[in-house]
Amino acid sequence: MTEQLKHQALAALTLTLIFVSIDSDRVFGAESLPNHASEFIRKNCQGCHSGDDAQAGVRFESSHLNWQNARAIHLWERVYDVVSKHEMPPSESPQPTIGQRERMSQWLQSQLSHHARPGGTTIRRLNREEYENSIRDLFDFPEFNAPDAFPADDTRFGFDNIGEALILSPPLLAQYLELATQVADTILPPDNGDEVAVPKHYHIGATGLAESAWTTVEGDRFRLASSKRDNAHTAGWPIRFSAPKSGVYRLTVDAVALQTDEMFYPRQEAPFRLSIYAKKKTEQTYDAFANLRKLKAFDVPVDQSSPHSFTCDVELNRGESFGLRWGNGPIDSNGFNRVRLKQDRKLHAAMLGIKRDPRGMTQSQYYELTLGHMANGLNLDDPRLDEELEGRGFGGIGHKNGPQLMVNWFAHEEVRRYGPALDITEVSIEGPTRLIEDDEMRVQKKRTATFLGKRPANVSDRAYVKSVIGRFLQRAFRRSVSDLLVQKYTDLVLYEMQRRGARVQDGLHVAIRRALVSPNFLYRSPRDGRLDQFDLASRLSYFLTSSPPDSELFQHAAEGNLAVPDILKSETQRLLSSKRHGNFVSSFTGQWLGTRRLSDIMPDPRLFFYYQQHRIAQTNEVEMLFEEILKENLTVDTFIDPGFSYRHKVLNKIYGSELEGDQTQRVEFKRGGREGGILSLSAVMMATANGVDTHPVQRGVWLLENVFGRPTPGPPNNVPAISVDTSGTTTMRTLVEKHRADQSCARCHDQIDPLGMVLENFDPVGRWRKNYPIYIQATGDALKEEFYSSTGTGTKAGPVIDSVGVLSDGTKLNDVTDLKRYLVDNVEIFSRCLTGKLLVYATGRPMNFGDRRVIDKIVSDVKEEGNGFRDLIIAIVQSESFAVK
Amino acid sequence: MKQTGDRRAFLKGSSVSLALPMLETFAPSRAKASMQAEESIDRPKRLVCIGVYLGFYQRDFFPATTGHQYEMPPTLRPIAGHRDTMSIFSGLDHRGRNGHEGWRAWISGKATGSVSFDQLVADQLGDQTRYASLQLTCGSPPGDAKLSFTKEGVALPMIGRPSVFYKTLFRSGSDKDRISYLLKTNRSVLDGLIEEAKTLERSVTADDREKLNEYFSSVRDVEKKLQKQLLWVNKPTPRADYTLPEFDPVAPDVALECESIMYDLMALALKTDSTRVLTFLIPGWSQVFTIRDRRLSAGYHSLSHHGNEAAKIADYNLVGMEHVRRLGAFLDKLRTSRDADNNPLMDTTTVLYGSGMGDSNTHDNTNLPTLLLGGGLRHGQHHRIDKQAPTPRRLGDLYLSLLQHFGVREDQFAGATSNMNEYLL
Repeated sequence: MTEQLKHQALAALTLTLIFVSIDSDRVFGAESLPNHASEFIRKNCQGCHSGDDAQAGVRFESSHLNWQNARAIHLWERVYDVVSKHEMPPSESPQPTIGQRERMSQWLQSQLSHHARPGGTTIRRLNREEYENSIRDLFDFPEFNAPDAFPADDTRFGFDNIGEALILSPPLLAQYLELATQVADTILPPDNGDEVAVPKHYHIGATGLAESAWTTVEGDRFRLASSKRDNAHTAGWPIRFSAPKSGVYRLTVDAVALQTDEMFYPRQEAPFRLSIYAKKKTEQTYDAFANLRKLKAFDVPVDQSSPHSFTCDVELNRGESFGLRWGNGPIDSNGFNRVRLKQDRKLHAAMLGIKRDPRGMTQSQYYELTLGHMANGLNLDDPRLDEELEGRGFGGIGHKNGPQLMVNWFAHEEVRRYGPALDITEVSIEGPTRLIEDDEMRVQKKRTATFLGKRPANVSDRAYVKSVIGRFLQRAFRRSVSDLLVQKYTDLVLYEMQRRGARVQDGLHVAIRRALVSPNFLYRSPRDGRLDQFDLASRLSYFLTSSPPDSELFQHAAEGNLAVPDILKSETQRLLSSKRHGNFVSSFTGQWLGTRRLSDIMPDPRLFFYYQQHRIAQTNEVEMLFEEILKENLTVDTFIDPGFSYRHKVLNKIYGSELEGDQTQRVEFKRGGREGGILSLSAVMMATANGVDTHPVQRGVWLLENVFGRPTPGPPNNVPAISVDTSGTTTMRTLVEKHRADQSCARCHDQIDPLGMVLENFDPVGRWRKNYPIYIQATGDALKEEFYSSTGTGTKAGPVIDSVGVLSDGTKLNDVTDLKRYLVDNVEIFSRCLTGKLLVYATGRPMNFGDRRVIDKIVSDVKEEGNGFRDLIIAIVQSESFAVK
Repeated sequence: MKQTGDRRAFLKGSSVSLALPMLETFAPSRAKASMQAEESIDRPKRLVCIGVYLGFYQRDFFPATTGHQYEMPPTLRPIAGHRDTMSIFSGLDHRGRNGHEGWRAWISGKATGSVSFDQLVADQLGDQTRYASLQLTCGSPPGDAKLSFTKEGVALPMIGRPSVFYKTLFRSGSDKDRISYLLKTNRSVLDGLIEEAKTLERSVTADDREKLNEYFSSVRDVEKKLQKQLLWVNKPTPRADYTLPEFDPVAPDVALECESIMYDLMALALKTDSTRVLTFLIPGWSQVFTIRDRRLSAGYHSLSHHGNEAAKIADYNLVGMEHVRRLGAFLDKLRTSRDADNNPLMDTTTVLYGSGMGDSNTHDNTNLPTLLLGGGLRHGQHHRIDKQAPTPRRLGDLYLSLLQHFGVREDQFAGATSNMNEYLL
């Protein structure tokens, strides 16, 4: 990352200021300004902001101001922002002294804190997740997904559901229209008449099967050699067949069991099981057989040397193919190679004896090489033969590059040559002999029927269409709709029917398309002032479930009693207990604690060999902590020092733990220590670094913004970020301190840097460390060794980390434990921050001075009642900030 | 009665996607685009970018010597006959990071996920053809195999089935009826929306009015595009004398067969002037190929990690040569074909062929295999880029040249600021 990019990345973590042009007819009036303020404005602002050609439509006309005028307050908030953040006057103009600037800022701050009112959300377009959930709910269409090519949403103030950032552009609207057409096609498919079955013969043959990893073609036979559990390792499937229509097909397979005297595995007496599965497509897939539909199984006799022919009728859905698999072979799981080595001391000893790097060899070369070692004297007393085989690569046995793979190679070559294996000699298929209604069609029919409702007898098209439209629009637009609007959509449907001689369905198809690109669907809360019942229901529902209101919530809104505090509370409780609140947990934590960023970070392999499984375990840890605090109404300080966490064994190398088993476990620690909480979660520490090195400024900015609730402005233009040099010539502290020598930097960095230093003990993947790493400058093959070693030992210990930091109130912190203690002791700092974040997420706008008053009250009220997190969410929902647009 | 049947034809048909015709109209109708059209009225320009996912063995891909007199390297022998219309570049890359992620940057330059240069060209040329650009592959490639990116940084989906590509080019009557019907009715869909939004507008604040303006201008823009789409859909699609196999060869084992068909259809797409910008990603999995009756010693992916072992390199090269052989057949078609206005395809089509993978053995993304062919540019040499030069050339510089060749007036692209015209003009 270049220096400039680093600084930009830093800026992106902080609050971004957006200019809004103000109508030029807004003039301040009423109350008179104190002298210092009118002096400040005269000297610094009126040069550009006065008269008819006032810049940005902002005019300072009189020496009076009117705190009753909402728009004036809004404007003064902007003035406060640009003055306090040194954005105005522009840098090329004469500047006020620091003292004058601070006096003006402080005065504005105190006035605004007193006068400003909460509110100010810009009309919000549904973001991608909300849009998808809305379609799913509206049509009972859970499998709906927007395509990968769907444009991404912008993030502002830390979240991707902020009104002013959710822009609509022509390509996005075109996408909405395209998706609307696809949805309408699914709900009301075009009329294709009745289909008929036209049977056809498809000769596939043994060589017309696609291979997976453990199958081979031996002459005119297709050899199934493994019984592992997934398609990609075990099965064969036709290269050139998929069912043209859903129907019954007659399948013929010739198969024979291969067993020879040279086999390593004992002769199998039970018949070989040939299993046939439905496969969704012809392309390579990684499906586990357990998840695929079983079609048929045959027993292939073991005492017959010529192929036996099997025939069956199977049901295939349109587009489906089938896979052939051997169900009961000896090579049956990923653990088999461990078993093989235990049983087969000679093989194990031979493998230990091979000193050559096996990479680059073919499977059969490796097999021959191993056989050679077996023949030329083995050391059967090697103590390593009796060691437990552990870990991914069975690290103890000779070469470190995947001995598991080598066992696989050897065994596969062996069964390929001598068996046991199941040979397919012929495959053909004929059909469809008759058509069937597949699951997709059934679901489709049901969806169509639900959408259309039951049409009463003797009802005119108009009356019927009107009833369908009325019901649909109310749900699509999440509110009661006017008769006029229902009328317009009804007219549209009837017009299409008459003009084109279409069915009712085809007319409604057009209405669905219009509704799904309507501003009433795509936007929420457009109406100004206090939210009405329906907008309140939507805000609550999208806040806690990222989905539109369900019928119960909608009912309350329709009855007009949702704002009743008890009902609002019980509805909040209900949504928080529903399954769908998981959307809130993952979306909110993913953005607040940065876990969404993890997939963009690729740790340096010399430091840590990072896989997707690590990311999943790290993300789960964050979400499960949040979930427990929410569910059990634990106190807000639990986020800082919970005394427990949810860990999976794949994180052992990060946390230095020794967990076993496949499940995520709840582990407990003593409170007051380093472990546990958002300030020591590896996910958070990784998300606040870049995978290669850590940066106190980046983490300091993150802490101020996301834990202390004091966002810092971005750096001034053209200032390079400091670069990290961990080679030992300079310490991080001296670098950071140099950075603060400049007065203009020091204003913010005095707060940022000492705070960031406290987290320096966490490395870029969130591991605890005492020293900075020095990357061993490995290149070429040496680096490759490290790359494949999965131990991440490409570093050595460098300078000792100095994690002492000082807070702006003078509190000295030795390390993260002190920081945690400070935040627990002063929990209202964190509560205020968290409440603000939740409100930004819920309302889709930044918090203004009026909101800040509301937040202070929420925080102190909840604290008095025991400071439970669930109570905090309820207090937020019942607050003034939540209730206004 | 027959007439009723015809009138209702548009209500039938399987669900057709409007996605493709939609794309064709994303191209902005800029003034300079039409200027460009006038300049080159007798000579259209076309671009084809072809990326081979698992790369090539560098030592057998690059010639040993530079200049005109180089000896044709083994991998490129199948296209030796195109020597005069081909430039080989060694030493070009994006100075980007290594690993799989690097692939996504192949034609988008240094920054992964930013706009790819073919899309800038498509913006420039797209108004003149049915599709501004088309993206192709074979089957379903691995997840990180992406080629074209929009300005919004969104990876464009690729067509992986020959039958779908064919249908896209030579749409049948019933599909056309349905699309035309959807487009027409979409106009009434949009008509009502402006009115609906206006009702809302009355109750919103001034800030929100700006948001609604976004909505109004988007609706009007899409309306204009619908008009254009309707024009295209009503123009007759070209006819093709080409027989597809009964079943799409999308299984990994028969990927080479799929590759051949895709090339055939690409040549037809250019010949019929259905589009002037094509990208083609040639994927690779762990399939074991049988080439000239010999089963290779390992799966393709495993061959690409050959560990510098001679037998594996030989087999890896065999697959590489099969790719190049198919490229050769495509180039032969370009050489012998002319478009409807009798322009020779080879002279009007610039083909970029290569890989985002430099050395697949180590996932190294430096020294990317890069060929440039046709397009009326100056060819015939192997250029080795001197990396020790004070400001060494990079692949983005070549793209900048190409952008300028296509009339995109940019003087930088993804960090590159100097073109490589001295190699091409």
